[in-house]
Amino acid sequence: MTSDYLDTERQDNMRMLAESAQTFAIKVSPLTRARGLRGSASGFDRDFWGKLAEQGWTGLLIPEVFSGYGQGFGEMAAVVSALATQVAPEPVVPALVFASRVIENTGNGDLQQQLLASIVAGELIPGVAWQEELAGLQVNLMANAVVAAPTNSGIQLTGEKHHVRPGADCDGFVVTAKQGNDLSLWWVPANAAGVKVKSVALADDTSEASVHFNGVMLDESQCLAQGDAAMVAFTRAYDEALVMTSVELLALQKAMLNMTLEYLRTRVQFGKPIGSFQALQHRAVDLLIQQELTSSVLSQALVMLDDGDTNALERSAMASRIKARASDAGLLLARESIQLHGAIGFTDEYDLGLYVQRALVLSAWLGNGLAQRRRYALIASLSI
Amino acid sequence: MSTNQTTDWNALDTDIFRQTVRAFFEQNYPAEMRYPKTRLRWAEIKDWYMTLSKKGWVAPSWPQVYGGMGLSPEKLIVFIEEQERWGVGRAPDMGITMIGPLLIQYGSEEQQQKYLPKIIQGENIWCQGYSEPNAGSDLASLRTDAVEDGDDFIINGQKTWTTLAQDATHIFLLARTDKTVKKQEGISFLLADFTTPGITVRPIRNIAGHEEFCEVFFENVRVPKANLVGGLNQGWGIAKALLGFERIFLGSPKQSQYALSRVEEAAHALGLFGDQGFVDRYTQLQLDVADLSALYVRFVEQVKRGEKLGPDVSMLKVWAAETFSRLANLLVEITGGSGAVAGDIEVNGKKIDVLTSFYNARPATIYGGSSEIQRNILAASVLQLRS
Repeated sequence: MTSDYLDTERQDNMRMLAESAQTFAIKVSPLTRARGLRGSASGFDRDFWGKLAEQGWTGLLIPEVFSGYGQGFGEMAAVVSALATQVAPEPVVPALVFASRVIENTGNGDLQQQLLASIVAGELIPGVAWQEELAGLQVNLMANAVVAAPTNSGIQLTGEKHHVRPGADCDGFVVTAKQGNDLSLWWVPANAAGVKVKSVALADDTSEASVHFNGVMLDESQCLAQGDAAMVAFTRAYDEALVMTSVELLALQKAMLNMTLEYLRTRVQFGKPIGSFQALQHRAVDLLIQQELTSSVLSQALVMLDDGDTNALERSAMASRIKARASDAGLLLARESIQLHGAIGFTDEYDLGLYVQRALVLSAWLGNGLAQRRRYALIASLSI
Repeated sequence: MSTNQTTDWNALDTDIFRQTVRAFFEQNYPAEMRYPKTRLRWAEIKDWYMTLSKKGWVAPSWPQVYGGMGLSPEKLIVFIEEQERWGVGRAPDMGITMIGPLLIQYGSEEQQQKYLPKIIQGENIWCQGYSEPNAGSDLASLRTDAVEDGDDFIINGQKTWTTLAQDATHIFLLARTDKTVKKQEGISFLLADFTTPGITVRPIRNIAGHEEFCEVFFENVRVPKANLVGGLNQGWGIAKALLGFERIFLGSPKQSQYALSRVEEAAHALGLFGDQGFVDRYTQLQLDVADLSALYVRFVEQVKRGEKLGPDVSMLKVWAAETFSRLANLLVEITGGSGAVAGDIEVNGKKIDVLTSFYNARPATIYGGSSEIQRNILAASVLQLRS
């Protein structure tokens, strides 16, 4: 994924970071850890989060002025990919990309400073509460049902959001709300009065949440952005989260294909490895092609995110395009890997299931392949 | 005479080079021949070939000492991109793209002097004699044989699917020169002049009604041993070496991009962009084409860095041909009851050619190694799945 960066010194640094992240992830987060955390209260491990902070990865993307390390998306991708390969259940992309980037992209200096410093320190795990439909195929970044409205005693937040990750043990939410006719972005601590979090179990034994804001009183100091600035900041972070989720999906694709190939090479039936049969070989090749399409588009998407001059519509089109490919390829790899394994692939005991379940979660999150293609079509019609 | 020997194209800034090439194509290539629906015959494209020849641009990849432009891979890609962009038709170009580079690499000095200038000058038109009725995907099992007889070889056998042989003056072919060894090790690479007695060319009409390929029969055809390229029984290795760099162009997204634009035009005329069922499928294919471009760029970058292409480039060919095929299928489907009309149909004042893409998509997944053969290559050489 690094070869599209023209700066070779940066390429080398990214390669080194990728290697150290892989070494760390394999050692500190073996698949047995992911397996062991299934069924735990939050589905992930805050101590492990602390280790990510020690590595400097909770602040990797965050600029130095906010006490982070000011690295790019290419660097962040190296870490995200290594953790995804180990099916680490910690909400790295939801908190460290999606939520962090909304906060960073907005202009509320004091609140930004305070939140980002806590994120870098590994003390704050935020989520973004934006989706209002439970099962829609339309990506709608504007809030409608969740409203920030003036009352006699101040601004009050009302309404419900869905598909918020992490769905448990989340410290607070970046909330998108309709204010007048505009979008506004608010920081709402999870323990604020009137916030009710309902965890929903996901296929991979992590959770998402439906968060109900029942007349939550907001102070102006909690406002991250309003109007156009809010939409610009939020759209950008959303696009960035799409790309980084695709990084995770590619890591899962690779892990599943590797497992499947290993199985095809070693499983003997009819006196031969089953990978010697052409029907199975050709199916495996189709998986390779989808994986490499994902990888090729992703390289371009990462370079685009790291290029500050990218036009917003182009960025959104690219983000939806890569999420569509990564999601559908991820699901294809998941289904076909099970089929090519046969019954063993459908057992809980076999590690393939860990990847399959995570692929299900990530392909649906933020809008699945079909939803992203519809967003792409809409953007393409706007760009003409 | 050309300006080739004096122009160092590779020293030019890429953008300036692109502009130069673009301007020349736009000003000189006949407008009515842009984006030809079928392969052009020599009679149709000859003038353009000669225009390029006089300009010194007919062999962009050849070294300048042989009359080429001496383009680096990077510049060559720009050249080809500009050809594709302007819809420049392909001449019978086996001399330029295949036998020329092969002679430059493996030919004797005598062979180079005898053949290369005539390719540049458009005097000799070459065709490729590889496939046989019983040697298609399993090319190495070919049976056309060449028996040594004094200073000659005597060739007997049959080649088929020989593209535009009816326009050719010469053929390069693979022939069996040793039947006692492993099939790949008994093949030699030979050249034959079509005026040699015993060669018969018979065009084959395809289902689109065109005669783009031919059968070529060899009956006691006597060719001098000087027509052997490389060593005796070295033909397989030589032929395979040719498959390197050129393979990337079978994976160019241009064909699919053009088909997508035809689908888009037809869908507008048919009012289908209000139909979510269609729009979903269209967008999916639009992204298949966009993502094909990303895959293509990846291999192009590899070439530009001076790296050799590996067997993984086969995935580009599979995806390019199959994406093109899906687009062609969609065009037939959305035109519904008119999906079988030969020639243009007219919908709301717009002319739509339904079947040309459909017909062109059939051989796309067959030639240059069928999709199935490409998958075999990928399975064996990339995925390490052995048969």
